[in-house]
Amino acid sequence: MTIPLAAFIAVSALLFFVGAAGVLVRRNAVVILMCVELMLNAANLALVAFSRRLGLIDERGSVFVVFVFVVAAAEVAVGLAIVLAMYRNRPTVDLDEVQQMRG
Amino acid sequence: MDGIGTALFAVLALGLVGGGLAVVLVNRITAAALFMAFTFLCNAGMFLLLGAEVIAMFQVIIYVGAITVLIIFGVMLTPQGDRRYGLFFQKQTPVAAIVLAAVAIPVVVFAFSFRDPTGAPHLAPGDLKALTTSIFVDYAVPFEIASILLLAAMVGAIVLVKRESDDAAGGER
Amino acid sequence: MVNLVWAIPALPLAAFFVNGLFGRRWLKQATGPIAAGAVGASALMATAVFLEVLGGRAQTTVVLYQWIGVGDFRIDIAALVDPLSAVMLLVVTVVSFLVHVYSIGYMSHDHGFHRFFTWLPLFVFAMLILVLADNYLLMFVGWEGVGVCSYLLIGYWFERHEPSVAAKKAFVMNRIGDWGFTIGMVTTFLVFGSMNFVDVFHRVGMASQAVLTVICLAFFLGACGKSAQLPLSSWLPDAMEGPTPVSALIHAATMVTAGVYLVARSTPLFEAAGPALPIVAAVGALTAIFAATIALVQNDIKRVMAYSTVSQLGYMFLALGVGAPVAAMFHLATHAFFKALLFLGSGSVIHGMQNEQDMRKMGGLRRKMPVTYWTMLVAGGALAAMPPLAGFWSKDEIVGAAFLHGDTLLWGVGVFTGALTAFYVTRAMVLTFHGEPRDQHLYDHAHESPAVMTLPLIVLAVGSVLAGFVGFPPEAGFIHGFIGPVVQLHGAAHHPEYTVIAALAAVSVAAGLIGIGIGLAMYRGRRPDPAAVARLTRPVYRLLVNKYFIDELYDRRFVAFFTGFGGVMSAFDVHIIDGFVNRLGWVVSAAGGGLRRAQTGVVGNYALSVVVGLLALMALYGGYAVGVLR
Repeated sequence: MTIPLAAFIAVSALLFFVGAAGVLVRRNAVVILMCVELMLNAANLALVAFSRRLGLIDERGSVFVVFVFVVAAAEVAVGLAIVLAMYRNRPTVDLDEVQQMRG
Repeated sequence: MDGIGTALFAVLALGLVGGGLAVVLVNRITAAALFMAFTFLCNAGMFLLLGAEVIAMFQVIIYVGAITVLIIFGVMLTPQGDRRYGLFFQKQTPVAAIVLAAVAIPVVVFAFSFRDPTGAPHLAPGDLKALTTSIFVDYAVPFEIASILLLAAMVGAIVLVKRESDDAAGGER
Repeated sequence: MVNLVWAIPALPLAAFFVNGLFGRRWLKQATGPIAAGAVGASALMATAVFLEVLGGRAQTTVVLYQWIGVGDFRIDIAALVDPLSAVMLLVVTVVSFLVHVYSIGYMSHDHGFHRFFTWLPLFVFAMLILVLADNYLLMFVGWEGVGVCSYLLIGYWFERHEPSVAAKKAFVMNRIGDWGFTIGMVTTFLVFGSMNFVDVFHRVGMASQAVLTVICLAFFLGACGKSAQLPLSSWLPDAMEGPTPVSALIHAATMVTAGVYLVARSTPLFEAAGPALPIVAAVGALTAIFAATIALVQNDIKRVMAYSTVSQLGYMFLALGVGAPVAAMFHLATHAFFKALLFLGSGSVIHGMQNEQDMRKMGGLRRKMPVTYWTMLVAGGALAAMPPLAGFWSKDEIVGAAFLHGDTLLWGVGVFTGALTAFYVTRAMVLTFHGEPRDQHLYDHAHESPAVMTLPLIVLAVGSVLAGFVGFPPEAGFIHGFIGPVVQLHGAAHHPEYTVIAALAAVSVAAGLIGIGIGLAMYRGRRPDPAAVARLTRPVYRLLVNKYFIDELYDRRFVAFFTGFGGVMSAFDVHIIDGFVNRLGWVVSAAGGGLRRAQTGVVGNYALSVVVGLLALMALYGGYAVGVLR
């Protein structure tokens, strides 16, 4: 018996919301970036699963995944640059401490 | 043969979700980063199970290879003192938990009850040919634009991290 | 030339623009000759038009431009050229020209010289529009224009308090009259469907007498405002705060005659509205005697002339009211000459006496200022209606018309006022020019005015002598034949015998001589002594000196009321209208302040808000899918 598509989707959903929980809950900015990567991975998994399993002729889902790779990489780079700049400003990466944009 | 597949899937799924939970819940950042890498690897395994070898390869190279390194860079460059567990969560955690639960539960329930519409799955031998055809022929322009995006991100990251040279060591001005 | 009649107002308008734009920095003293030249050219053209109309040119409408054309409401910028407007054109432009020339001398030391010669030709332009208009709306444009220029010129020395106040008073009282004019104008349109003179006068039969009376009385209210009749008369004496040439031109010869012109022009309306004309006559006569009594006790030479103007305007309205519009226009023309002369002469005296206007400080000036003296004597005689000067012919015709119309009371008032007029003008002349100088210092420095000022005086004096002969012989003179057909009432062509006319004239002249005689006796010979007379008649004297306390009455009743009303309106404006806007701003600000609390600055909150939005979308989608929402 091949693994049903629903299984992959379920795993993807679980991973996605774990990552989302991490984004909303953790204080450390770098950890939040990590959790965002988790979410992206979950999305990639769902995309590939649908692309390979739904009997489509081409691999458009997979192509999209390639672009998601690209964007994720770029986003991590820039995000880390921002975190570093923030760290340089005041030596903290705790997001609850950074409230200068208030109001 | 399928039994192996199913067992493999179970292991990988556990690793995936467990790794994710570990990233969110572990105290030490370095450990969290390594758990993240572990998650990426499990994801690559998932791709292989699905028959998308190229994607799996990309996953390992890009995620496990590059992004993990980047994250570890970030961790190393922003040292914080040890924090107690209590200061671990953001102030908004209770509210966030409720809201996220409200969103997550329906979606996950729906995901678990998802029924595959097409019946017999179609498995292409591998995805290399189709993938490369798509990238370099059908979606060549977005591909190029993606490379420009990478360039822009690189430049942006450099600019963002640039030091303001106030001291005399800044050179000619 | 009639077809080019629009060039006549165009030139003063051009002078206004040129002087206004370039006068302060570049033209300076040249503004005077520019304005005078423009008005002079207009005068020449007006003469040409006059001659052409004289030569038999029929009533012509010269359209410049279609101004308003909305459905049935059609107003053109068009000039109506007929004997009535031709006469007014001539009088206005000639007198304006002489005043312009005079002012070049009179205002030569004033630092606002260019400003004077900006407003003065603008006034001439507005007055010419008023005279030339072929419909009530365009006439109203000119009507308002002269009001504005009057305000600007009365308040010419605005740095001082009194001229500013006087200018405001003049404008406000004019405005009350304008309200009347507007009502008349609008009602005319509603009833007759047009504001065009020719159209309206043809359709007089369309309206009932009651409506016509309303229209006429509304227009007459406007005329009272503009021509300073009771109850809107008190602005004119105060207007003497303006420079003397302004008083001469605007408040003697032209603007104040606009009311008379309006009523004369609207004769077909007035004659068809029964009770309107007697009211006009009564108001005119009452104003005449009222102003004349006040003039008896004034010490400022310009004030005497101002009240005299109000009084003489009353005569003109009296004439209109008793069915003698030709006589009214006749007197308008002669009065323009001799009253302008009296004012300009007074200005010459004031100029020579270093701006002293109080006659009690004058005396014996005829030796020092002969030209001024003799020209003013001619004008004074004309004002006193002494034959064969111009004023005699015109005023006599007015009182005669009153008698022949059957209004013996009005005739009596007219004759008595004539005696008063003769008295006060004699008093003024004697106090100023005869006897011994009462202020030796001023007398020593007194001098005759330069030629640029005395020449206009001489020209006006000639006019004051000769202008009367256009109305000779009485009732059958040139002017009667000329203007008569335009304004003459139907069925009023009566030609009384000359004996009646001569008898009436004799009575008038006798009254005048009595007035002169008493004046000479009191002020030359001190018999009886004026001071003694004043003491004896103290209550009456006090009443007259205080102008019947009318200004105080107005102040207490009307001004106070409107000031209070204005205060209420101001409070309303500040608290409710401004308050509304302020509170609206406060609401916006408060809302912003409230909404600002969503910007916590904590990035995690923003991420949470994304999830909340997602939740909302899911709920929405779920609602549609389930069927709860549509």
